[in-house]
Amino acid sequence: MEFQKDNIWIGAEHLTNDSTFVEIAKQEFHHTSVEDTLENMGEFNTNRRDFLKYLGFGISAATLAACEIPLRRAVPYVTKPDSVVPGVANYYASSFVEGGDFNAILVKTREGRPIKIESNTIYGIEGSSARAQASVLSLYDTHRFQSCGKISDGKYTAANWETIDNEIKAKLAGGNVRIVTGSMMSPTAKAVVAEFASKFPNTQVISYDAVSYHGMLEANLKCFGDRVIPGYRFDNANVIVSFDADFLGTWVSPTEFNQQYAKGRRIQNHEEAKMSRHVQVESRMSLTGSNADNRILVKPSEQGAAILALYNAVAALTGGTKVEGASVNEAAAKALAKVAEELVANKGKSLVVSASNNVSEQILINEINSRLENYGSTIDFANANLQHSGSDEKIQSLISEMNGGASNPIIIWGCNPVYDLPNGEQFKAGLAKASLSVSFAAKMDETTAACQYVAPANHVLESWGDAEARKGQITLIQPTIAQIFSTRQAELSLLRWADSSNTNWGAEQPYYEYLKKYWEKNVFIPGKYLSFQTFWDNTLHDGVHGAPSAPVARKCVCDVAQAAAGISKPENVEWEISFYESVNIGDGRYADNPWLQELPDPVMRTVWGNYLSLPIEWNGSNDFRSHNDLKDGDIVEITVNGKSEKVIVIRQFGQMPGTASLAIGFGRTVAGAGKGVGTNVYPMMKSMSANYASLTIGAKVGEDKDFASVQYHHTMGITGKQEGYKDKEDKDGNINLDEKALGPGYFAGALTNRSIIFRTHVSELKTKVEELEEKRAEFAKLNKETLYSGHEDVFTAGPHWKMYVDLNSCTGCAACTVACMSENNVPVVGKKEVHRHHEMTWLRIDRYYYGDITNPNTVYQPMMCQHCENAPCENVCPVNATNHSHDGLNQMTYNRCIGTRYCANNCPFKVRRFNWLDYTTADLFPWNENYKNDENMLTADGQPMYADNLVRMVLNPDVTVRSRGVIEKCSFCVQRIQEGKLTAKRENRVIRDSDVKTACQTACPTGAITFGNGNDPESTVSKLIENPMSYRVLEDINVNPSVVYSMKVNNRSEMA
Amino acid sequence: MITRLIKNRLFSLLFASISVINIALAGGDAAAGKTLFINNCASCHAKDMKSKLTGPALGGVEERWAAYPKSDLYAWVRNSQAMIAKGHPRATELWNAWKPTVMTSFTTLKDEEIDNIIAYVNQQYTGGGAKKEVAKTDAVAGEEGKDNNLVFYGSILAVLAFLMLLMAQLTARLNSIKYAAEGSEQRAKTLKDILTSKSVMTFVIFGLIVLGGYTTVNNAIAFGRQQGYAPEQPIKFSHATHAGQQKIDCQYCHDSARRSKHSSIPGTNTCMNCHAAVKVGSKYGTAEITKIYASIGFDPTTGKYIENYDKLSEEQVSSIYKKWIGDNYVSQKSLAALDKGGELLVNNQWEAIKTSLTNELKTKVQGPVEWTRIHSLPDHVYFNHAQHVSVGKVACQTCHGKVEAMEVMTQHAPLSMGWCINCHRQTDVKFADNDYYNTYKRYHDEIKNGTRESVKVEEVGGLECQKCHY
Repeated sequence: MEFQKDNIWIGAEHLTNDSTFVEIAKQEFHHTSVEDTLENMGEFNTNRRDFLKYLGFGISAATLAACEIPLRRAVPYVTKPDSVVPGVANYYASSFVEGGDFNAILVKTREGRPIKIESNTIYGIEGSSARAQASVLSLYDTHRFQSCGKISDGKYTAANWETIDNEIKAKLAGGNVRIVTGSMMSPTAKAVVAEFASKFPNTQVISYDAVSYHGMLEANLKCFGDRVIPGYRFDNANVIVSFDADFLGTWVSPTEFNQQYAKGRRIQNHEEAKMSRHVQVESRMSLTGSNADNRILVKPSEQGAAILALYNAVAALTGGTKVEGASVNEAAAKALAKVAEELVANKGKSLVVSASNNVSEQILINEINSRLENYGSTIDFANANLQHSGSDEKIQSLISEMNGGASNPIIIWGCNPVYDLPNGEQFKAGLAKASLSVSFAAKMDETTAACQYVAPANHVLESWGDAEARKGQITLIQPTIAQIFSTRQAELSLLRWADSSNTNWGAEQPYYEYLKKYWEKNVFIPGKYLSFQTFWDNTLHDGVHGAPSAPVARKCVCDVAQAAAGISKPENVEWEISFYESVNIGDGRYADNPWLQELPDPVMRTVWGNYLSLPIEWNGSNDFRSHNDLKDGDIVEITVNGKSEKVIVIRQFGQMPGTASLAIGFGRTVAGAGKGVGTNVYPMMKSMSANYASLTIGAKVGEDKDFASVQYHHTMGITGKQEGYKDKEDKDGNINLDEKALGPGYFAGALTNRSIIFRTHVSELKTKVEELEEKRAEFAKLNKETLYSGHEDVFTAGPHWKMYVDLNSCTGCAACTVACMSENNVPVVGKKEVHRHHEMTWLRIDRYYYGDITNPNTVYQPMMCQHCENAPCENVCPVNATNHSHDGLNQMTYNRCIGTRYCANNCPFKVRRFNWLDYTTADLFPWNENYKNDENMLTADGQPMYADNLVRMVLNPDVTVRSRGVIEKCSFCVQRIQEGKLTAKRENRVIRDSDVKTACQTACPTGAITFGNGNDPESTVSKLIENPMSYRVLEDINVNPSVVYSMKVNNRSEMA
Repeated sequence: MITRLIKNRLFSLLFASISVINIALAGGDAAAGKTLFINNCASCHAKDMKSKLTGPALGGVEERWAAYPKSDLYAWVRNSQAMIAKGHPRATELWNAWKPTVMTSFTTLKDEEIDNIIAYVNQQYTGGGAKKEVAKTDAVAGEEGKDNNLVFYGSILAVLAFLMLLMAQLTARLNSIKYAAEGSEQRAKTLKDILTSKSVMTFVIFGLIVLGGYTTVNNAIAFGRQQGYAPEQPIKFSHATHAGQQKIDCQYCHDSARRSKHSSIPGTNTCMNCHAAVKVGSKYGTAEITKIYASIGFDPTTGKYIENYDKLSEEQVSSIYKKWIGDNYVSQKSLAALDKGGELLVNNQWEAIKTSLTNELKTKVQGPVEWTRIHSLPDHVYFNHAQHVSVGKVACQTCHGKVEAMEVMTQHAPLSMGWCINCHRQTDVKFADNDYYNTYKRYHDEIKNGTRESVKVEEVGGLECQKCHY
């Protein structure tokens, strides 16, 4: 049964029109009590006399200061590098490699410091991930080790390299060295390890992934003889079925998959609309699931049975035999049978993936894909993905070895096993027994604290290296800044300890020489290039060597019956909990990055922590409950596998009844800014493949007073139910009145009857487009009536900047939000401030649900300043601090702003942000700084985050750092517009699309955002705006936004 | 050998005539060449084409290259170092004469453009079409006008004040006559009575308040402005000598002005382009130029850069430069050895070098010269030199004044927002010359219709907040 068939909603409070929700929606800024404010102000107790004193002091100080001109220095280079022009950015091709994450990137540097990550399109993937975008902040982390050191009892003491090199070398000799790493993508690093192993013969490399792909790798080894993950082509698939694989958020290579997925989903021609179908089989609402057309709900323990059910259904249609095994719930079985029909109808153009870490289940998936003839078209071993190669068995046998009395030297490289293994405690105990333990970690973490030595490695932006993320295509990593601290590349440390003879130790950059030598010997094929040097120069410039190869079909060889016996068995328990990797924090390695902590989870829209999502029970009318009547922000005690933890609850639409979910990667105990944020779930897991367990939910033990789900902040177009509105309610109390107000249409008139989201089913697209046209014509008629005629030639001279956002391409991956923070110096404010609705993000991604309440669909809407031509914010500013430019920008002038916040109140889109506190420490007086609120906002030495000169190196010098008391908002990246215009002028030509691209646009992996000159009929953005699927948000209020959205289209079909 | 020489000469004559014909045929456009020359060549090559600057005089360049195909000359202009590396005889000859000065590569120049430049070179060299450049003195003229006004108003004010006093005196006289006639006892008001009367006092106090308020507000607005700021610099660098006397183009040193938001102060290596050869200054002798050497680590005695200069101790550094200063003193004075005055001079100069190149944060002599910054905009102001220099074609002097006459660099303009805005109101955009402005079709149409004469900067957004603040 469906409830709000034609409407969209943001949460249960909204559907029930809860008074707290109405209250919040009414206010521009959430009110907090005076006590709360004062508490947050720190030691603020100025009275009138003090005020007068400061005023007097200020005036006299300013007068005195004015007498003498302060001495400012201008320091030029001694020998200016030819490539550096002060004030002009340089871009270097490199790679972002962190754990199993990979992006081919361009690093934007200004005067020798990286400030922004862009994607390297030569690699074939446009856009990047939120994690890659945020990596530049981790370079300037004050918690980094400043030199190598010794560690005892978790305490670090600095040492010098020579001393520790000698000590480590002595301890390595004769031992069976064990190098524990994450997945290794670098061919040269592998060569380094091989050389190290030749010096210390019993060396073993143990690679593991905290979020393990072991099951899949082993299955592929069994079926195809290759222990690799194949390359996937979601763009070639008409039907995509994913068993719990969050391929748009975290699974294998999300940036790449986002791009492919959007390609298959984009509507090219609305009259003959075609798009792929996507079915997600899962229990929790994942980012990928929220984008799916249909979600089939199965408990985590039923995943195996669901895969088997699909296998049997496909086999029945393709002439195979049914195999017996566990069975899935009835609704899912029925739906899967239908899915099988669709899959078989699209043989060779379908794709089935699973995130299971169970070898048998993955074998079944391989067999399904094989029966569907997908190998060679949508799955491809010729371009295999090499990002993940870890082995669960190896790390587990190492733990037994460590605890079994063998005292071997252990080297920890790029991983954190004490924290991110379910049996991390055992690893820690084993580490204590090791004859030597060295960590290459750049910052103190749980594992490093348990080691004897730390030989801190460079940040990836300070390193040389290479990465083979896709078979046959190697990308280079080049340093974009001189080493900030006395660190050393991990590879170089290994070579040093092995006294490598292949290394030129006298060179300025020995690892660079080593890398080059390796490439000359192993990668360079003479022929196309005259010499190795020209080959190297070209490759270093491009960042990429090699091209994708033609796909080849492979035959799957496996024993299905045996596999069916090995799948996980459905359990019959009251509650099941699944553990998953979150989009922003990953397996925990990004927990110390404030940008990612403050990036709202795409689906739950929560920040700074992990939250237990519980299903919402709906009684069919106007009552939404969850287990024990728990509300968002309540704290409960849960028990999993005998471990009890207090967790914060959030109620989640689309979460299957009887299941809950909680993200891994939080609750770090030693992790800079991420210390103590959220709950650590690794100890709750029984093993690396057990990503679910049975759960006992205890009673409520409290409330999180700083709880924040930002979807409830800055709600727009929502008035909720007005008083006196009751008589218009349905008899059974439904609040679904919009349909009546609008007439029987299909349009989701947002939360009232206003136009925020337009959406339709693909089959109805043609008629809906016509209806949209009618509706827009009506708006246009209304909007034509104006009191202010005679301004028709405004925006007719010069460019007119416009943006087009394709809601059908946007998957909500959030890369744009971080890119915007990075480009525009948007501060992070911490959880307490977010709770007070004080988050500063200029670009938010609104998440709305629609359709079936028990299993809704989702639409994501990136929302930023709409640069309205009739901007309501502009007329209410008493000091004209916000006004319009001739090229259509709604300009915000910080120095004029006196902080009345009238503009924010008058903004229909709720995109203006106010600096309530001195988040950037830009003010003269320190008492409004934010740091007293939040210990996660402090640097290593207890200073406010942005007060540290190291952290400030991340700031974009072309964008003003805002101080307290001013409003700020999206500027359409005006600094990029200015730069683009200047380039065109200097080259004596008209401006092109490629001259100006906003930060969100270049970060977007799906191409959902297009920016350009709307006055140029040839520009991409003009053509897209002409598309009949496009509309403007709140078009009826005649503010005439410059941002144009396109209709959201789904391809849902009834499965029940 | 001799025959070969003659052969070469013959060839060169032949080629010269051919190339002249070429120019005539290709119609090497001297006007276009002038722009190209000024943008690319003028910083190193003298405009009269006869005298040497950083680079050789260009006059007669074709004759000198006549022995080789024209393409060699093109190649030389595009990448001289490559030619030298190949061992081209003319290139080698030039390199030997001019090294270590490297000619900048102009890889983007096309053959026709080089032809245009050559046409301009020939024109200048032979004296055809040479025109006196009229210096832009708008700003200066404006100021003179202001002075004249001041004198004018001042004299009117003085005359009026005199008249007022005269009238007051007259009234007083008349009054005293009147009182005398009436036989009243009231005595005539003296000047003191008038000046201390209530109405005059009120007027004066009111005037003072208005004047005080006006000055306070004006000074408050001007907080932090530093027009006329001319601090002492670590090196007594004279723009008058370099830009005025030697006629080095501004953008030779401030090379990022055309492509970046900063004009930027040149690195020490830029100084070395000339001062590797010019070791003793005309005014300060070794006192100032040695500071450059001490910054970068060039030993003027040997003419070589010092290896591992950064790691030398202060004593090692001082011994190198003291020796140079002393030797120079000795040879200038034609002495046999350093005398007492010489010793004093050496020590004084070294101490001055030390104080100039070090400060509380920089303790080593080695390293950059830390200049005192003169032109400094607040952090929330975005100013782009490239926009003004390359696109707006604004002369440097418009904002920086007659730098070529400044012995000590001085801030010429107030650099206030009102000053910027004023210029944006008055200045015409180079509208017809730049295809970028094709986007402004309406203005082009209006110009065509005759309804518009020109486009001011303010009409293309020059007064908008986010042109400068974001």
